[in-house]
Amino acid sequence: MALVAGVAVSTLAITALPATAASDPGVSATEIVLGMQLPQSGAASPGYNKVDDAMRGYFDYVNSKGGIYGRKIRLEVKDDQYKAGLTVSSASSLINKDKVFAFIGSVGTQTHISVIGDINRRGIPDLFVNSGYSGFYTNPKLYPNSFAALGTYVVESKIVGKYLKDTYPTKKIGILYQTDDFGRNALAGFTTAGLTFEAKKTAVNFIAGTQGSLGLASQLTALKANGVEIVIIAAVASATAIAVSTAAQLGYKPDKWVVTSVGSDATTFQTILGSKGVTPAVSAGLLSGIISASHAPSPGEATDEYVVAFKKINDDFNKGPDKRWDNNVLQGMNIAYMATSALFGVGKNLTRKGLVSYIENNGSKISTAALSPLAYSRTTHEAFTSFWIGAYDGATVLKPIDGTRVLYTTDSGTGPVTVSNYVRPALPADAIAKGA
Amino acid sequence: MSKASSYGRKNLVISILFTALVFFLSIKLDPYNQGQLSVALMFFIGILSIVLLTGASGQISLGQGALMAVGGFAAALGILNLGLSIWFAIALAVFAALLAGLLLGIAAARLSGPYLAGTTLVIALAIPSLATRFESVFGGDVGLTIDFGNPPAWLTSLMGEVGYEQWQLLATLPFATLALFFTSNILNSRTGRSWRALRDNEVAASLAGMKISETKIFVFVISSGFAGLAGVLYGLRGIVGPSVYPISLSLLLLTGAVLGGIRSILGALIGALLVVFLPDLIEWASGSFSPSEQIANYLPAMISSILLILTVVLNPGGIAHGLHHKKSHH
Repeated sequence: MALVAGVAVSTLAITALPATAASDPGVSATEIVLGMQLPQSGAASPGYNKVDDAMRGYFDYVNSKGGIYGRKIRLEVKDDQYKAGLTVSSASSLINKDKVFAFIGSVGTQTHISVIGDINRRGIPDLFVNSGYSGFYTNPKLYPNSFAALGTYVVESKIVGKYLKDTYPTKKIGILYQTDDFGRNALAGFTTAGLTFEAKKTAVNFIAGTQGSLGLASQLTALKANGVEIVIIAAVASATAIAVSTAAQLGYKPDKWVVTSVGSDATTFQTILGSKGVTPAVSAGLLSGIISASHAPSPGEATDEYVVAFKKINDDFNKGPDKRWDNNVLQGMNIAYMATSALFGVGKNLTRKGLVSYIENNGSKISTAALSPLAYSRTTHEAFTSFWIGAYDGATVLKPIDGTRVLYTTDSGTGPVTVSNYVRPALPADAIAKGA
Repeated sequence: MSKASSYGRKNLVISILFTALVFFLSIKLDPYNQGQLSVALMFFIGILSIVLLTGASGQISLGQGALMAVGGFAAALGILNLGLSIWFAIALAVFAALLAGLLLGIAAARLSGPYLAGTTLVIALAIPSLATRFESVFGGDVGLTIDFGNPPAWLTSLMGEVGYEQWQLLATLPFATLALFFTSNILNSRTGRSWRALRDNEVAASLAGMKISETKIFVFVISSGFAGLAGVLYGLRGIVGPSVYPISLSLLLLTGAVLGGIRSILGALIGALLVVFLPDLIEWASGSFSPSEQIANYLPAMISSILLILTVVLNPGGIAHGLHHKKSHH
């Protein structure tokens, strides 16, 4: 009977837990509640754990200017440690406890895949997901409420792949990628661009998340032994840092390193190497010359009006423990900026369906700091379809190769890579886009 | 009336009351707590696998999460490739875990103490990574997506609207009840007594005529079945993959078992409720302090670690043992 008594006590304990409000869709006359999931702790968190603070900083700025038609934005954030089991629980918490109106900016492919079906089944907008996995966005019938915050890995890889093929036709090119949909998508994009790789010789991989504990020496040794002259890294920033520093230790000096945009944040790169005793000067030297791509201005571009405005808002409103200005902060600010633009665009009568419909029908009009247009439409929920290619200088700033920024565009299929003439609209005076 | 049938009736009554209480909660709780309670029931089944293996028979396993993964992947493959319903997939998962337990048990029968703990720890690390090695089958790092689906029509016509979390809880409940009933009976049976004899003194048990290796293998098989059942239910929340069954899951179940009481069924329930609801209780208790995210994210792990140390030092039998001790003093 002790068991029954225990269950009874547990019953009382559980029913004593804080009650949640009745079916509140997360929007009221005074507030809009948004929810986000990301690794704030754990091996995958470095760098990405700054995105939420940057978003909150921008929303606090908008709130200080009166919010969205008088509604203040509240961002609820849950740490999933990049473990899908926790992602499921924390999504339930955001949906049922915090009663979020929409998800926004959630980080991670393998974690978000565990909840994307449920979020869509419930009709909750899933805005600007920080994953470039094309499977989330290219078939809106599958996930009608999910929209990307990044260009897909396929688009970026096709653009960079074509550049490498055209610029270095005689060089031996290899790839180091993580074995998840991020890595596989990138590999597919490079292959579509015409690059060819040989498994375990010029194409090596590792299990995502193991780079910290297992290192990447064997993979880099294989590339070195096979005479790879240009190494592409399709992995997170912590893996890039470990790969480049490990190669230096092995005496492996490929002609060029090429890193996908999500893996090439300079601050994260230097922070991770700094934790291993590498001085900033040395890590800046390792980063210098690395080729990468971006859909946005480089955070180091001191004359870009969006960079200047967002940097000031970050200084004034970001209350996070690490508010150092970098790609992650810029990305967080831009997601919050885009969300503000969309929320204003829907109008005063804010509904979940209305928000999704607005984004689908006005994708090209939503304001963004990116140098690429947004592709949102009824046929695709991809974000950015254009990238420019640059190289890091000695001051850890990504700058256009040869000094001139050329924007390339393509799709996530087999379409060609072409030059884009897109010109980004000017920033509104108060750095708040009020919809189309 | 024999003692065995008396135990059987008592266990049946307890199981019915348990079911009634959880069913009552499934109506009363909000969706979030329904979901949390369903996870607690899944962990209850998982911790029962530790109660049987470690609490009853004295064999240490740090790899129950891996056996959960076996159950989860078997079910996912059955659903996605063979078109099985979740009910047949659950049966398949238990069968696969029983087989895995048999293989593990054969190895475990030759090992004990830290050697067994080490071996099971390696298995906990190795099995989820097989998903990445054979990614075309197991889906790689991302895994395979499965879920409980929508509640059946007969249930909604009986109860009205049934939410997703409520359905998750109601679908888990029969298995938790079965696990409770089965464990209660087996621990009170001749088999359970032989397991305890094995735990208390292996040499004495052997001299009394027990077949030590066979008994160890049998315990491993039964325990693995429980872990596989917990694993498939846990995976049916949305996804089966390496990041669903990390090594930390095995350690979390062990923590729950030790905190609640590793030799007690009540302890398994208390431990499961504790590890699942502790973050919520901490969030509720610390609400007025509003600690920063950097502190709040680590509080549950820190507090459960402190509780674990205090339990081992002050009350090794866990909360259930403490309650029983107090009751017997009165």
